[in-house]
Amino acid sequence: MSNVAKNQDWFKLDNSAKIFPSVSNYKETNTFRVTISLTEKINPENLQKAVDIILERYPMFRVKLKKGLFWNYFDYNSKPFLIREMTYRICGEMNPKENNGYLFKVIYRNKDVAIEMFHSLADGGGVMMLLKSLVYEYLLLEGKNVKPDNLVLTKNEKPEYEEYEDANVKYYNKKNRKHVSEERAYRIKGTQIVDNNTGIISGILKTSEILKLSRENNMTITEYLASVLMYIIYKTQLQYRESIKSNQKPVKIFIPVNLRKHFPSKTLRNFTNFIKTKMYMNKPDITFEEIKKLVKKQFKQGIQKDELIRKMSENVAFEKNIFLRITPYFLKNFVLKIGYNMLGIKLNTMSLTNIGKFAFPESMKPYIVDLTATINAGRFNTVNCAVVSYEEKFKITFSRSIIETTIEKEFFRFLTSKGLEVEIESNFVEEYA
Amino acid sequence: MKYCDKCKISIKTNHDYCPLCHQTLEIKVKEEVVEKYPQYETNIRELKSITKRIMLFLSVTSIIILLITNAVTGFENLWSLIPIGSIIYFWLLMTVGIFSRHNIAFRIFILTITLIFLMYLIDESSGSEGWALDYVAPILLLSCNLAISFIIAIRKINYRDYISYLLLIVFFSIAPIILILFGVVEVLWPAITTLGVAVFILLFIIFFFPKSIKDEIKKRFHA
Repeated sequence: MSNVAKNQDWFKLDNSAKIFPSVSNYKETNTFRVTISLTEKINPENLQKAVDIILERYPMFRVKLKKGLFWNYFDYNSKPFLIREMTYRICGEMNPKENNGYLFKVIYRNKDVAIEMFHSLADGGGVMMLLKSLVYEYLLLEGKNVKPDNLVLTKNEKPEYEEYEDANVKYYNKKNRKHVSEERAYRIKGTQIVDNNTGIISGILKTSEILKLSRENNMTITEYLASVLMYIIYKTQLQYRESIKSNQKPVKIFIPVNLRKHFPSKTLRNFTNFIKTKMYMNKPDITFEEIKKLVKKQFKQGIQKDELIRKMSENVAFEKNIFLRITPYFLKNFVLKIGYNMLGIKLNTMSLTNIGKFAFPESMKPYIVDLTATINAGRFNTVNCAVVSYEEKFKITFSRSIIETTIEKEFFRFLTSKGLEVEIESNFVEEYA
Repeated sequence: MKYCDKCKISIKTNHDYCPLCHQTLEIKVKEEVVEKYPQYETNIRELKSITKRIMLFLSVTSIIILLITNAVTGFENLWSLIPIGSIIYFWLLMTVGIFSRHNIAFRIFILTITLIFLMYLIDESSGSEGWALDYVAPILLLSCNLAISFIIAIRKINYRDYISYLLLIVFFSIAPIILILFGVVEVLWPAITTLGVAVFILLFIIFFFPKSIKDEIKKRFHA
């Protein structure tokens, strides 16, 4: 028996992570992808070396999921991590048997490197750090003169405990944990794409242009995009169809909030909460102005510290419930599955993830073209949207599990009608749908 | 660079239609580009699944034929359970034992436990002489104990993955003694040998690797 045991080499799942292993399957994969495009063709050998270096720096990603009696846990994974070439499958199920047990993938194609991450392990913020470090080490191995400038975690630093803490529990407040029940949301219907394939349509905008447009409307970019999405959903799916029963449900957009911006924490694991915009759209005369006003109000309410802590504590309280804790995992699994299928997923019409601005050191910028964020689209949330920006490139990526492109089409036509330049990228899923 | 004058968007692609509205794209600059996303490929795992399907078909039909024949010859003698159990064990051997990517200790553990069941089944449906529980079960447990210990001893790095199965099998080794106490088993020496070896292994771990047991329990039982 050897001496692999370092100070800590197994981790409990954090509060938000606990739900995902139970509710993920080939339809709802709960994986997301962040892609970075570089200026030169990727050299797989150096990329593999870079990944091996990075895994030493990030012990919390060098894990596999194992079952305990009461909860799952992440255990140290001694098997090698292998990078792979990109396939047509986007944000597919993270099958532990295919991937040496690792819960994330590093894939490459032409000039792109992508990290596909199972949501249990980390959120967008964590992947952002991982991707930065990976690209930094890769560029170093390629012989480029790059410096970390305190923006990138490099192999020379030692991992800190704060990087893998469960920050949700840290800010848990017992007194502020009231449960607010929610109703089901409107679902965007359409024809399923065969074989659980995902359709991707990204639009590349100019950051300054979209920023200017949002400011003209007195909103942040996320608020503006959420309003546009609400408006487009209304225009394409609901208007003049008020009498249909399913259209009585509110349109709700789920917008993850990176809590690192609101509470001090260095964690690389899940530390996100959400804001929801909600509107009943069963009237024939809703205007864009009306939607904007409502969205702005709901953002303002949702982002308050009290409200964020309440939502956090609600989840943590659930986990701390003594009856749930002493239930064996296989029963818990059952409960979580049923609960999530009945409620969790059906509370949102779509999700709009703004991963935010990627800041790279000056010395790395010449080698980077742009970034793409992609989230999985499942059976209930048939269209999802992820946003990421780097310098002047502002990329909005729609992923969909249905063939119809109405929402994407009208969304980008709306933006071009405001005078924005849009460049489209797509995986042309029509070819095999 | 191509352009869609309906959607007013530009796109770099080799395809001829707009991904948004599916209308023809207007070519602004003629160029050959590398697509951002790869082409669709059909699954190449067909061959393996065809062999599997044939085997599955044969197994299911044999089981049905065996059951029917057994029914015709009368249910007093359940001889068909022996071949049916063997067919099921064969599948387990294939899926868990050979083609699984689970760790080896887990595979040995599962195969041992199921093999004990199969042996018990054969014993019961061929005269109930009691050899399965008297001799086979303790000796299988003993060899499983030794096998996992041996694997841990030679493949040092992965011992963390195996230790829980070793602890489980040590725990299971108490079963033959319990059967003796209840009077089911009468032959003493196999059961006692098995328990002795199990206790020896357990003490060895406790004295020489106390942290591994403590960690394993912490991991598996944190609430």
